[in-house]
Amino acid sequence: MSVMTSRRFLVLSFSVLLGAGWLPDATAQVQPQSACQNATAPRTAIYFVNGVTTTLDEARLNGGKLELEFLSKLPTMAPAVQAMCHLFFLNINPTSGAVKDFLEAGQQRLGFTSTIFWQGLEGFGLATSGVIAPVLQRPISSADQIDQAMITRHATAYREQIAFPSCRRVLIVPHSQGNLYSNVSFDSVFTQALPPPLGTLKIVGVATPADRVGGKGLHRTSSTDVLINGIRLVLPATLDANTNWGISPLLFSPAYSGGHSFIGYLTAEPSRTQILADMESSLIALAAVNPC
Amino acid sequence: MRWWCRETGSLFLRGAVLSGLLVSCSGENAPSSSLNQTESLAGVDADANGVRDDVDRYIDTTYADQTSADLNKAVRQYAKAVQSSLVDADSQTQSLTHATERFRALECLMARRPREFHTIFVDVRAQLLNTPSRSEAYLKADDQVKTANLPLLPADQWMTACQS
Repeated sequence: MSVMTSRRFLVLSFSVLLGAGWLPDATAQVQPQSACQNATAPRTAIYFVNGVTTTLDEARLNGGKLELEFLSKLPTMAPAVQAMCHLFFLNINPTSGAVKDFLEAGQQRLGFTSTIFWQGLEGFGLATSGVIAPVLQRPISSADQIDQAMITRHATAYREQIAFPSCRRVLIVPHSQGNLYSNVSFDSVFTQALPPPLGTLKIVGVATPADRVGGKGLHRTSSTDVLINGIRLVLPATLDANTNWGISPLLFSPAYSGGHSFIGYLTAEPSRTQILADMESSLIALAAVNPC
Repeated sequence: MRWWCRETGSLFLRGAVLSGLLVSCSGENAPSSSLNQTESLAGVDADANGVRDDVDRYIDTTYADQTSADLNKAVRQYAKAVQSSLVDADSQTQSLTHATERFRALECLMARRPREFHTIFVDVRAQLLNTPSRSEAYLKADDQVKTANLPLLPADQWMTACQS
């Protein structure tokens, strides 16, 4: 096969994949979890914490995507995970101020119109522009550098879920900047008076700019995440890339070309399967601990 | 290996250029710019259905066929909630009400199209927030509810969030 022929084949293949990704899908009614019909079944609270490029609406969609993908995989997960009723929540990381800064910078420095900005908020252009990365590069070990009121709000929510009468195990799935806040919230939960039992709170980080995961939790960062790769150049201690999006056509679409989108992480393979596997193993560990 | 890297790199660049073209073609200078838009925050809503006329036309054009009728309604439900959020962005109480309406509309959209909801959302939001003032009002509305605890519906109840 000549170089030219193989190139045409690759381009054609990507075009087909791009089209396939955009095919309409059928409406599918999600069935209730069987464990949730049992009042005595143990409960878990699964929290999504959004990143800095995520507005309130996107946070809802990201949390919804997490719920959909998790529930689709649940029937094949370990019996201990299927035996629990999983409830989904958002802990919002307010980003309106930061996104407004990105909007102004995008318009002034990159010449984006408003429409183009909103279509490419997690795209290659903004991810490589140097506009977003500085927000994620601040010192992450000092809690006074970040929004303490938000940390308190998040930590309180986790503690209330774990405490009587809720008695729920908690799994946090933060994306991007949400990892920085979740690590500090985790520390806050266990450094206050009368901390909950160890092992009742776990984190599975996605696209993390941090150098650790609270509670020695798991993480997945893609090798094609342009934003985190840029941060790792400046902060070499940033956690390693340990997944990827394969040859996903998402990397060639305006909305996902930065390789950083949470929706992208839960759509492309193998990142999707690996994140769900990390959630499953974390939930198995959580099932072994009694919160009350 | 070197050949593969060169080919992949070339392909990636082509993809990036294609992505740029896709963005450019769907921006404010694309077909929608020929519609009768105004620059005011609220815009023109001649039929008083709570959605700007240019956005109404976008929804009816994009989701015109019979198989998209349910999607047409779901997207319009979200558009109406965003329009209310923009107009009432100065009010914390109203912002909370409209943020909840947006969440219900998005849950309906996820129920209707569980695989492709995000691209639908990105495109209609870009149409809704096509000026700096509308974009800033949207972010201001978000800011009004930044400490609120907005209730979520579980996935098996998302369909109930759809307005008839």
